[in-house]
Amino acid sequence: MSTYVEARDVAAAVAAMADGARPVAGGTDLVVGARHGKAPLPESIVGIHRIPGLDGISVADGVVRIGALTSHAAILSSPELASATAGLLDASAIVGSHATRANGTLGGNVMNASPAMDTGAPLLCHDASVVLTGPGGTRRVGLAELWTGPGKTSASPDELMEAVELPLPPEGAGSAYVRLQYRRQMEIAVVGAAAYVEVSDGAVSAARVAITALTPVICRVPGSEEALVGRRLGSNDSVSGENPAVWTQTTEIGDAIHAAGQAAAAAATPISDVRASAGYRTAMAAVVTRRAVTAALTRATGGSVTVPASDWSER
Amino acid sequence: MTVTEERPTAEQQGTFIRPDGKEKVTGLGRYTADVNLTGQAHAAFRFADHPHARITRIDTSAARAIPGVYAVVTHEDVPENLYGGMVQDRLLFAKDTVRWEGDVVAGVAARTQAIAREAAAAIVVEYDVLPALPDFVANAQPGAPLVHPEWTAYDADDDLSREGNVVGHSTILKGDVDAAMETADVVVTSRFVADASQGAPIEPRAILAQWTGDRVTVWTSTQVPFAARDGVAHTLGIPQSHVRVIVPLLGGGFGSKCDFHFEAHVAALAEAAGRPVKLVFSRREEFLAPDHRREGMVLEFETGATKDGHLVARRATLHLDKGAYTGEGGFFAQMAAMHACGPYELDNVAVRAMLTYSTNQPSSSIRAPTAPQTCWALEQHMDQVAAAVGLDPVELRRRTLIRQGSHGPTGQVFDEIGMLDTLEAAVEMIGYGQELPDDEAIGVACGWWPSMASPSGAYVKLNGDGTGTIVTGAQECGTGAVMALPILAAEQLGMRPDDFSILYQDTDAGPWDMGASGSQTTFNNGRAVVAAAQEVRAQLLQMAAEKLEIDPADLELVDGTVRAVGAPSTSVTIAELAGTGTPLLGKGSGDLPENPPTDIPSACVGRLGLDSFLAPQLITHAARVKVDRETGVVRVLAFAAAHDSGVIVNKIGADGQVYGGVMMGIGQALSEATYFDEEGRQRNPGLLDYKLQTASDGPRIDVRWIEVDTPNAGPKGSKGVGEPPSVPTSGAVGNAIAQVVGRHVTQLPMTAERVWTTIQDVQEEAK
Repeated sequence: MSTYVEARDVAAAVAAMADGARPVAGGTDLVVGARHGKAPLPESIVGIHRIPGLDGISVADGVVRIGALTSHAAILSSPELASATAGLLDASAIVGSHATRANGTLGGNVMNASPAMDTGAPLLCHDASVVLTGPGGTRRVGLAELWTGPGKTSASPDELMEAVELPLPPEGAGSAYVRLQYRRQMEIAVVGAAAYVEVSDGAVSAARVAITALTPVICRVPGSEEALVGRRLGSNDSVSGENPAVWTQTTEIGDAIHAAGQAAAAAATPISDVRASAGYRTAMAAVVTRRAVTAALTRATGGSVTVPASDWSER
Repeated sequence: MTVTEERPTAEQQGTFIRPDGKEKVTGLGRYTADVNLTGQAHAAFRFADHPHARITRIDTSAARAIPGVYAVVTHEDVPENLYGGMVQDRLLFAKDTVRWEGDVVAGVAARTQAIAREAAAAIVVEYDVLPALPDFVANAQPGAPLVHPEWTAYDADDDLSREGNVVGHSTILKGDVDAAMETADVVVTSRFVADASQGAPIEPRAILAQWTGDRVTVWTSTQVPFAARDGVAHTLGIPQSHVRVIVPLLGGGFGSKCDFHFEAHVAALAEAAGRPVKLVFSRREEFLAPDHRREGMVLEFETGATKDGHLVARRATLHLDKGAYTGEGGFFAQMAAMHACGPYELDNVAVRAMLTYSTNQPSSSIRAPTAPQTCWALEQHMDQVAAAVGLDPVELRRRTLIRQGSHGPTGQVFDEIGMLDTLEAAVEMIGYGQELPDDEAIGVACGWWPSMASPSGAYVKLNGDGTGTIVTGAQECGTGAVMALPILAAEQLGMRPDDFSILYQDTDAGPWDMGASGSQTTFNNGRAVVAAAQEVRAQLLQMAAEKLEIDPADLELVDGTVRAVGAPSTSVTIAELAGTGTPLLGKGSGDLPENPPTDIPSACVGRLGLDSFLAPQLITHAARVKVDRETGVVRVLAFAAAHDSGVIVNKIGADGQVYGGVMMGIGQALSEATYFDEEGRQRNPGLLDYKLQTASDGPRIDVRWIEVDTPNAGPKGSKGVGEPPSVPTSGAVGNAIAQVVGRHVTQLPMTAERVWTTIQDVQEEAK
């Protein structure tokens, strides 16, 4: 017999989950997956969508907190996130359809642990962690430790994800997410990449790069990051956000961006399926990585990259 | 001839909107899946477990034992009546052999759909697995293993020219191709491969059947209610008068809901269950189960041309994948052969087309069957010919397209046609020749499609308040008949289109019609409605003449009244005449236009009535695209569509057909394909990976109608409209891509990966 209960607070949700219930908020993965025959609906479901305090975005003490129930649409309309985590907006802007973005939550996206999820790579680049609350209390887990395989997390079945937290980026930081997409709506990433950079004194002082749908779990690419850190962008006069080509073509940073793309391709272990061959995916890993890094650098240096960066970077 | 951009009548400005529009867009509309009957059971099918296998045993006892199962039906429970359009090669339920993954082995009716599905899975079916035969080109070779070893025993149309796996073989032969090729300055050869694709209607099909005594009523999402009715009667061995088919609102078809499909399966289940039975397909089933998708093709062209842009000879060999059964697609070989010639002047032709069985999903009519792929290949080939002779592609077409007096490939002599005008209009609208960034280009393609003459019938009756009702056998599938037919009736009777209701979805009510297929509802049923309205008109004039004591010849019907010509105050309203109780009832079918004569040689085979193109619909499409050279992703930025569909009866409806058709064509060009695995199983039976274009992907689409008042055609000099908007679309997109890339992409759809691979090949060779 199937059961459905609606939790009014985190404790009630955790109690239901301890009894075997699966949490549901937007239902855009759970329900759609069941209708596609991917996995039947769980026998026992706990609705968490009315729990107070799980929704909303706040910035305090250098930490950006995004509640688990925050929809992609809410992320897109957040001025705080637009300046701090533009790469996350790039992702939320292209998840599914308008309906998916209105109903689908960040918590669901992250905990579904799909290697093709759009928000995963930008969150990983922003050094995000999740706040998990279970019967024994609350703990924070970094995303790299959270995702253990396709559709698998290290959270225990009775732990509810309350929020995503990430450090407020300093001045001179920028991020972006770019995916290869065959159409503009109702699409799933064929491959994707996110980049986060900090630029100070005309050089890349920090860089994080992650790739999507290219490995069993979304992961960072150290080789890409090493290629970028310490590279000079050129004189301040020649850096123009409006025209990133000024520093992507011939200079030191252009070579570094190219090398970052090559490192991403080398790190990829893609499959061949109906969406693309492994060879094409590998080649595209380099392309989307270059584009994500380019967009992130452009944002970091005050240039304009419209959301979503995937559309901006088509050429 | 007039070129129309603006023609502001009330109907065309939108004051006469679709009568069914509001209910559809507000969610109030009732589709077949929304219809429920008290006590109904739910159906599920057991599909073949292998694409090709001999059935050795079927045991339904475990399924029957499941609580809540009302009936299980197999081939043993229905008459062994083979069915199919030009070849009767299929049974409702597979008996000895399954020939594709969607073959139906058994059906279950149960209390819930979940129980029905569980029971379908519990049926024991044992097989001797046979090698799958998915390669339709190999299957066409002599000695190839047969998909239907018993093919000679089937009832079939003698004109198909069948042999083994080849269901249809059609040739067009004209002049002396060998000699003519010798005179050519250049000879260009090309080979193209088109993948299968789908109609992909947003409404998955649904059927509900209920027996009353020995008569069955079937609510079904079909484009062709009479074909569905006739199929039920034939396969179940009952009179047509015992089958009534009703079509609630239809959520799209695009050809995929043409032909008789599952109505008899559900009727048989309802009879066995002793209660109404309802079938609603999942999206996955909507992809896998219908014997209806667009055919894959392999196309080879060879054209000889002179430096001054004269096409001296054309050879072509076309292979078409029929899949496992013929359905209504038996005519495809001849249709493809005509499209391999295209709307061009050609004196020497040798085209052969083979429609061949495989153990893939059967192909049948999807919007302009065979034309988009053949046109895509031919139009890219034409651009290659233009390059070879050093002419601009538009200029080559200017010199070679058919015009009034031209002789077509089969000797058809063309009357006044707007082919060249469509070319000039499309080129002007797209801004051909403009300076573009180096990752953008414009491609142009031309195509044609016949108007189909078919018998059709309608009744027109007036109500006591002076309104009217049209009762027609025609079916509305979104194509606009609900607008065009009232417009035509209203014009005859001096009434307004919204004075009319229309009853179109009940085989017990309307006269026979071939259904929403072949771009022909307004073309044929419009003629019938006009004829029926003219009978009512004559009755009204006679009644008014007696009342006003004026000769009927001196009366006219205007604004809901019958009045004296020149003395409008001497009048009587139609309401007054209709309110007397005298039945005002007209019936009509009208005179069929005749196919134009040809001089096709008797050596040609596979002649199935398409030797000439009646009232040909002529099209030029032009696309401006942007190619992302790093990824191969193509975006269509702007699109121009110029069509000669004769006089336009209803511009809103016609424009809508072009917008939708172009979007479908762009999908077929770039992203829509059914991919089969090595055994012919679909790899992407769902809307996540069968990539339809979305509204966000759509370009601006400019439309222009070249209105040729066409003799020997439809009402008011009209031709068909519905299918041509997808015909040259992919060719225009393909030619534009080739302009950027430097080479034609030879596989359809031209996916990002295929475009990227072509770019890599060009770059490799440049090294």
